[in-house]
Amino acid sequence: MTQSARRRTFFIIFLLPTFLFFCLFTLYPIVKGVQISFFDWSGGTKEMDFIGLDNYKQLLRDPIVGTAVGNDYFLVVGKVIGIMLLATFFAVAVTRLNVWGKNVYRVLFFIPNVISVVVIGVLWRYVYNPNLGFLNSFLSLFTSERVQTAWLGEPHTAMMSLLWPSIWAGIGFYMILLVAAILSIPGELYEAADLDGASQWRQFLSVTLPLMWEQMKVSILHIVMTTLNGSFILVWIMTEGGPDNSTQVMGSYLYQMGFRQYHMGYAATIGVLILVLSLLTTIILQRVLKRETIEMA
Amino acid sequence: MKLKQTLGGGLALMLVLLSAACGGTNSGNTNGGTPDASPTEVASNNGADSSKGLTGEFEIQYFVGGYGDSWWKEVISGFQAANPELKITQSAGPNINDQMRPRWIQGDTPDVVFIDGAGSNERQMIDDGQLMDLTEFLKEAENTDGEKLTDILISQPTAYEGTKNYTLPLVFGSWGLFYDKAFFNEKGWKAPTNWSEFVATNEQVKASGISSLIHTGVYPYYINGGLVDSAIVAGNGGDGSILTQQANLEEGSFSGPAVQKALAQVVELVDKGMIDPGAVSLNHTDAQIQWLQHKAAFIPSGLWLENEMSKDIPEGFEFGFIPSVAQGAGENNIVIPYTNTIAIAEKAKNVEAAKAFVQYAFTKANAIRWAELTGALMNIKADLTNTSASEVVKEAMAFFNSDTTTVAPVAVLNADVEKAKQDATIALTTGRIKAEEWMQRLEAAAAKVRK
Repeated sequence: MTQSARRRTFFIIFLLPTFLFFCLFTLYPIVKGVQISFFDWSGGTKEMDFIGLDNYKQLLRDPIVGTAVGNDYFLVVGKVIGIMLLATFFAVAVTRLNVWGKNVYRVLFFIPNVISVVVIGVLWRYVYNPNLGFLNSFLSLFTSERVQTAWLGEPHTAMMSLLWPSIWAGIGFYMILLVAAILSIPGELYEAADLDGASQWRQFLSVTLPLMWEQMKVSILHIVMTTLNGSFILVWIMTEGGPDNSTQVMGSYLYQMGFRQYHMGYAATIGVLILVLSLLTTIILQRVLKRETIEMA
Repeated sequence: MKLKQTLGGGLALMLVLLSAACGGTNSGNTNGGTPDASPTEVASNNGADSSKGLTGEFEIQYFVGGYGDSWWKEVISGFQAANPELKITQSAGPNINDQMRPRWIQGDTPDVVFIDGAGSNERQMIDDGQLMDLTEFLKEAENTDGEKLTDILISQPTAYEGTKNYTLPLVFGSWGLFYDKAFFNEKGWKAPTNWSEFVATNEQVKASGISSLIHTGVYPYYINGGLVDSAIVAGNGGDGSILTQQANLEEGSFSGPAVQKALAQVVELVDKGMIDPGAVSLNHTDAQIQWLQHKAAFIPSGLWLENEMSKDIPEGFEFGFIPSVAQGAGENNIVIPYTNTIAIAEKAKNVEAAKAFVQYAFTKANAIRWAELTGALMNIKADLTNTSASEVVKEAMAFFNSDTTTVAPVAVLNADVEKAKQDATIALTTGRIKAEEWMQRLEAAAAKVRK
């Protein structure tokens, strides 16, 4: 066997199985999903009526889709800002600043990642409970009348109330990612910066931030993608999209339509919308976040 | 270049594999869809009364939720003993509806299905042509004790498309308002029997510093069943046919005078601050726990409530049940029933055994066992006085048998209209929309489905 033939065999052995699984578990469901979106199908029978673009026309006219897309991007923006700010701060604090009990904090902040999202949802439902919850009891300490705000029940507070648990649950993972990035920065760079008289803030801006930018970029993209695809779980456990559809996100509306109202074709159309928006958002973000890569000498 | 070729080849292979996989499923469908003739034939030859009993295979699907599975196991093992040659398969569990869905889609269905729990909807199954038309069978069918089935049912099978029956109600229960009798006695409050008494009691409750009505805001169908629907029937002069008109999506049935009157009553509660402000964000567990802890006086729910919360009921708590409060003084109570039904699949492979099972299960003896094992009511007129059925179920039974009670028909709304109704009701109870918008939304939702 020639060198190139061996190389080729080597490639095939590694690539082909992965490619086959990719086709079976990613490509095929996507194609099938797009196909179903052109049908009127209840999801409970073999009968499917081809209706062309009717589902897409309905999608454009459906006011709840607008709410859902808005809510999804509210979570995306809120989570990116909230998680990145806090995760970066904590990561710098436990690596660069001389904080007491660094390792304890690392473990503490990571704990929410070990807990199932379902448990997080249930826990936070208790926090927000209007009559027995921690939040209202705490606020009542400062008011003469008992606070009875239904945090998850009022349209203007419900989405905000869904955002905090999402941020809380996300910080730990991205913090670990950023800690790893910071630890890989050679100590000499900081020593040099110290000798030049750079303050901690200056060091952060000129050394830490540029050198961990790749990881931050990956983190941001990951938050965006997981939010657009996965905000469903927390929403479903905490509000089921209610009251009156005010906390519906695309994933929960897809579930509602497909499995509660038996419009699987329309649900598939919402799925296509999620796919398209995720792709577009990722592509745009890739461009926006592009910076010259700074390599360590 | 070569790598590209290889990948191309891989893609081609993949496509072949995929189409083979699809082909496999399709051929499976066709086989599964065609009823297997042999077992049915054998079964019909032997007949239900033959000493050997039924033969062939028989599969039953039942959801295991609040009612547990002990009744099912008991009845099925009795059915097995009566038909030792029959190979019975039980497909059961809390997620059985989702687990069996692919088989329903492919046409490889069980013979008998108990329609209950998340992911099941009898109207949708009928629309999808999944259930067998039982109209003729139910006209004649007798149970194994020789009693005619329709004679001993509390609630008759729901009529679809005017006259057709596809399902047989197995569980019968009632929506209504629940309160703690002991707590009411202690406070000197009176359990209301009509609307003005209800409002008066609510004033007293409110004055004492607790909420009068708490409900499950995340699941607004509780307050629909326990308050709004009975108010609509009361507003219709106690005539429950309006619910059937709504289920048939008749134009104007969601905006007539009866509905206006009922919604005005809900708005009165909202305006007087009688609905717990936090209720909108509570799911059933949260709301029920708070009600058990006396954070509120009334809660709309169904007869399963006591069983569901049995582990959390405080000492001295006495369940009280009122089917309806919206009627005027001297008018009949309204019972809004709910049922969980049993049905035979359109593509059942052993229809004979399926029918025989229904006839075996619907006996008075089994109804008593149901009450004892589940704490709920089976849809059979059986004497429960000396059974261990819960007090609240017995109290409800007294309402059902009373002359001053009207039992409304069971009406199952289309899923889209049902969702619109839940959304509109929760918006109405939080004062975010007016009664007019409730009616507009429902009429629009019904019109959309009619198209």
